[in-house]
Amino acid sequence: MFAVLALVVGVGLGAFFEPSVPLALQPYLPIAVVAALDAVFGGIRAKLDGVFDDKQFVVSFVSNVLVAGLIVFLGDKLGVGTQLSTGVVVVLGVRIFGNVAGIRRRLFRA
Amino acid sequence: MTERRYASDFLTEMFNNPLDAGYAEAARRRAERGPDSAGRRIVGRGARALVLVATGFLLMVAYHQTVAGQPESSRVRAGLVADVQARQHETDLLQQQADRLRDDVSRQRDAALAAAGTDAAALNQLELATGTGRVRGPGTVVRLVDATPPVDPVTGKANGKNLGVVLDRDLQKVTNELWHDGAEAISINGERLSATSTIRTAGSTILVDFRPISSPYLVTAIGPEDLDRRFTGSRTGQLFRAIASQYGMQVSVNRVGDLTLPAAPDPQLHYAQPVPTDSPSTPVSGSPGSPVPSSPGGR
Repeated sequence: MFAVLALVVGVGLGAFFEPSVPLALQPYLPIAVVAALDAVFGGIRAKLDGVFDDKQFVVSFVSNVLVAGLIVFLGDKLGVGTQLSTGVVVVLGVRIFGNVAGIRRRLFRA
Repeated sequence: MTERRYASDFLTEMFNNPLDAGYAEAARRRAERGPDSAGRRIVGRGARALVLVATGFLLMVAYHQTVAGQPESSRVRAGLVADVQARQHETDLLQQQADRLRDDVSRQRDAALAAAGTDAAALNQLELATGTGRVRGPGTVVRLVDATPPVDPVTGKANGKNLGVVLDRDLQKVTNELWHDGAEAISINGERLSATSTIRTAGSTILVDFRPISSPYLVTAIGPEDLDRRFTGSRTGQLFRAIASQYGMQVSVNRVGDLTLPAAPDPQLHYAQPVPTDSPSTPVSGSPGSPVPSSPGGR
């Protein structure tokens, strides 16, 4: 409940300020979103498994976003930015699906 | 002796157990150490809330970026389209004004010529021949329409090169053939052809006398009663039938009993001067009803 509230507050802040993303950061935005979603789904899964840990959650979020951004940045510099972005999305997507499958098994026993 | 265990490779591990191993580790540590102190718990909760707020913020920003980015380009495009349309409307108004003024001028000139006792009919005939006066009469309309582009059955998008698109060459061929078949006045989509007219392509748009026209192309010609039969029977007519059956361009030739063609804009001649002749005589001597030989020169 508390988590959902925090999430809603974040969405509200975003809707209220409507910040414009600088052009240089725009390629990182989708990757950052996917990385953040991965951390959040990991957190939910851990919560349902009863092993949730605040520190682990925060660190995984920050490192996910930073590493994803770094990989895309490096890829851009090496000229394989799109391919690396795809790679990051695939890996994080697989993790998200795996975690969602875990959540589903917990919630619906299916 | 412990059995040597191979760690499964990264991808298998990830597919089998996508949850961060850190969670299990932290849980084990907590079980060893007992529950966290109240202060640590509060800090942890605050950090967690902060991360979730950041996640929501990120989602909203990305949403805005994606949704707001789309209308930006289409808004610019719509603005440009409106601009073009406004300018076209302006040009049309100016054109109408020019037509009115030209009518006015020719009326006044006729009156002046009549007052001076000169033959105004000869001048009218010349105007008809050069295309700077409006004309009406029986004729033929050749209609050319771009083929619908081939559509990919899977994606539903246009694919490949559309070979059935009407090109400037096609319009040139049609007008040439019509002139040859005895047409006396031709207009394409309302642009009357005169001795200095051009039919050409700029980018993917066909320009007739620098005015852009688009499909469907109506080549309207005033000429003899059997102009349509002459056109369809000609080599060009056969060519266009072949193009129609092979590439899907739509071609139709219809006879129309009464056509009115607009006047062409005055060809602003700056360099060409009339050559003085020894015997000044009116070049056209026929009655107003007789056909005037059209001059296909200059194209």
